Amino acid sequence: MNPQGLNKESPAPSVKKLTEIFFRIGNTTFGGGYVTIGMLGRELVDTRRWISAEKFDLAFALARVTPGTNLIAFCAAIGALICGVAGAVAAVVALTAPSSVLAVLIMQGFESFQGNRIAMAAIGGTVAAVAGMMWATIWVILRPHVGGLIRNLQVVLIAGGAFAASRIFGITPLPIILAGTLIGFLWKDEKPT
Amino acid sequence: MNPLVLYLLLLKASLTSFSGLGSLPMVRNDFVVERHLLTDHQLNMAVVAGRTGPGPYGLYLVCVAYAVGGFPGAIMGFLALITPAFLVIPLMRWIGARADIPRVRSAIRGLLLASAGLLLSSSVPLTVDAYTGLFSALLMVASFAVLTFTRIDSAWLILGAAGAGLAASLFH
Repeated sequence: MNPQGLNKESPAPSVKKLTEIFFRIGNTTFGGGYVTIGMLGRELVDTRRWISAEKFDLAFALARVTPGTNLIAFCAAIGALICGVAGAVAAVVALTAPSSVLAVLIMQGFESFQGNRIAMAAIGGTVAAVAGMMWATIWVILRPHVGGLIRNLQVVLIAGGAFAASRIFGITPLPIILAGTLIGFLWKDEKPT
Repeated sequence: MNPLVLYLLLLKASLTSFSGLGSLPMVRNDFVVERHLLTDHQLNMAVVAGRTGPGPYGLYLVCVAYAVGGFPGAIMGFLALITPAFLVIPLMRWIGARADIPRVRSAIRGLLLASAGLLLSSSVPLTVDAYTGLFSALLMVASFAVLTFTRIDSAWLILGAAGAGLAASLFH
């Protein structure tokens, strides 16, 4: 892919420079995808003008419909728009590799603390907090789709049906996801999300 | 476990999800329910480890892979985590022109709603595993409220919960 989406006044950066930005922001920003995307927007669109706001928004929208983790797809899209495929690979690896190593080290720490009562109490607190976070994530996914009788009915039938199919009938996730997509395709949304 | 099989299982989970934790139902089904390679508690630990540091929430996949296959497994988990991201490059060319078609938008919506229902299903046993009494229930509710109604960084939430757990154990 040829680099595109650059503002006219900004020269295309080298892949090395792009890597530095993704490494710095991706591995020092806590709080998940939306926070990191906001920081990248400030740096790449406002400060360095390497990409236009329109192209940045397109990358954000398409990352939401790309399978996998939205933030990583977003980085691949931005990297590709600025420096081509090499930029996509560099952005993704710079953002995820160091934090993956850190996550494994944290996991190792958890395992070595298994016999320590005080450490396990602290870990127990975080496990409870993460359970709450999961419910918050579900609400974040559902919230934009709530509103209006038909839309609410779709939420109840598709999300509730997926829950029942998995929890009560033990159906595996893949056919449930395919069925949800097919129902959505056939039962047209009445207004944009 | 064969690293290639591990990669393919995690890739399947990653390819059929549309958010960091969206792959959780598939991961739980494959590694906890069907293959018994992890317990719900270990899966919870992996999610916590993935959310404690910086970076995307999907990093928990690397921790799951590490728990199942050690460091070689972690590399497979990392590759499974990043592989689907590159689909965005052809998507920018193909869907970019079609994203506003109502039926395409509705299909994506159906997929997201089904994913939410599955995540709900996976959250129930993980919540049961995390529940150890009234204190843990309060932490769950507080965590949900903080993330839903405030803009406080989740790293602070994790640190605060760890501190609260520690304080509770010292008082009892």
